[in-house]
Amino acid sequence: MSESGSLHRPSATPHPWARTTIAAIITLVLLSPILVVFWLALRAPVAWQQAGPTLGTFWYVLTETKVLHWLGNSLLVSLISTVCSVLVAAPAGYVLSRGRGGATSAFSLFIFVLQSLPAVAFVIPLFIMFAHLGLADTLTGVSIVYVASSIAVGCWMMTAYFDTLPVTLEEAAWIDGASLFGGFVRIILPNSLPGILSTALFAFLHSWNDYLVASVFLRSESAFTMPIGLQTFFQQNLADWGPVMACAVIMLAPPVIVFAVLNRYFSIGGIGGSLAGR
Amino acid sequence: MTYQLAVHRRTPRLGRRLTLTGLALPALLLMVVVNAYPLVFAAIQSVHSGSLITPGPFVGLRNFADVLGDPGFWKAAGFTLIFTASAVFGSWALGFALAILLKPQFPGRGAFKVLLLLPWIVPIVVTAMSWNWLLAGRESLLPSLARALGMGNVMFLGNPTLAMITVCVFKVWISYPFMMMMCAAALESVEASIYEASAIDGASKWQQFFHIVLPVTARSTYISWILMAVFSINDFPTIYLLTRGGPLEATSSLIVLAYKTTFLDFLPGNGIAIAFFMTAVMIALSVVLLRQIRKASLQ
Repeated sequence: MSESGSLHRPSATPHPWARTTIAAIITLVLLSPILVVFWLALRAPVAWQQAGPTLGTFWYVLTETKVLHWLGNSLLVSLISTVCSVLVAAPAGYVLSRGRGGATSAFSLFIFVLQSLPAVAFVIPLFIMFAHLGLADTLTGVSIVYVASSIAVGCWMMTAYFDTLPVTLEEAAWIDGASLFGGFVRIILPNSLPGILSTALFAFLHSWNDYLVASVFLRSESAFTMPIGLQTFFQQNLADWGPVMACAVIMLAPPVIVFAVLNRYFSIGGIGGSLAGR
Repeated sequence: MTYQLAVHRRTPRLGRRLTLTGLALPALLLMVVVNAYPLVFAAIQSVHSGSLITPGPFVGLRNFADVLGDPGFWKAAGFTLIFTASAVFGSWALGFALAILLKPQFPGRGAFKVLLLLPWIVPIVVTAMSWNWLLAGRESLLPSLARALGMGNVMFLGNPTLAMITVCVFKVWISYPFMMMMCAAALESVEASIYEASAIDGASKWQQFFHIVLPVTARSTYISWILMAVFSINDFPTIYLLTRGGPLEATSSLIVLAYKTTFLDFLPGNGIAIAFFMTAVMIALSVVLLRQIRKASLQ
């Protein structure tokens, strides 16, 4: 981290540390609502009548509430819908990336239009439909909705990645006698790990953070996912910020950890290109 | 376009089309079952009165007439416009500024790039609660600050106008990371040699910004505006979790109004009529907008 080293880089600024200071101040201000969560989580439950910070609140919510159960439900739902999202979005993204002509154009338009429709319009009919199928108050039911609702952006992200792969890659396989499908499965997919991880990360955040679908579909406490459990707990303990925020910390940990591990693969900036020119 | 010819040479046309259809099929089927089919059901429900589960008698376009004749609907439509406009331009301005700040190499740049995405990564359920604490608690930060400045008891979520502003600021805070990522990708596509050449010609930083950066990123900016507009019009949790659409329905956007009409007033016919009205507008709008995107990409 020597200053002479950074000077030789082509895009180095004249005052690198000044920029660091400015960025640090802005980051601190913008992240203050998140820092507050951690700070409040150290408060003891009101019933304890205890001042001063404590980690005991975490022990309290882990043992006295169903937060571990909600966490398990959320992890199950998010992991299953992440895997399914990628399995569905990757081939669809390949079609958008390599396909040409009217049918591809229509498919692209169909995705964009469905993505732009308000979810409230179809949650009720969907709830009734799922109730007939016995899926209404179940984790399977919400997982299906999450997969469907993450297809559009997931598909655009996969398209953006496939667009960066040269077609000569598949052509070589076709010359060796591979089919279009074979080329996709054996050549394109194994070379698309960053794109797949990026899409998976989006799908994970999408289902982990959802509130609307879960609030309509999940009625019994045993099926609650984290957002519904936390929201219910918040309403039952309005002034008791310590336990509420301790639960909040437990809820925000998984997406933050997953993102911290995989962030170098994450890229959503290319989805504009997937929308254009189809 | 060269590979299109190559494809035609090596695989039969029909086989290729079948394979592509097969690859698109899972996505198509799922979207039809989960999104398109319920819309037909919603269309039927919007012309009936009755409860959530059992549709009542056919009432024709009464629900639509009720909804359009309700001043609350137009108030919500107005707030949807304010909310969407501030989400799009507010998050774009902040996201673009941060993308420019983080473009050159400087110590800690990688860490800031990740940290600044946190408002988008942390669940809205959590951030809505912490904003609630920051804004609404008597002992909490912003109200105490306002009292110290002699402004008295400022009700950030209690005063209708202030609540509208607060919700819009909250939305900008949640959405700027998405815009930052879109802008950063667009900025990367501007070649460094263009800056160097213009600097040699004596262009100032501001001239570079207005005459190079803005025009070169215009297309991707336009696309990200459209995406953010669509996301914001359909954004339910951001508003509902912070204010529940209150006070006095001041922060009810159309989607919040549709939800409340359906689930809290138990008037699913009216609620779906509102959602359906939005749907019709969004279908028309998205077809036009996608055509605009395609046109922009040809230039």
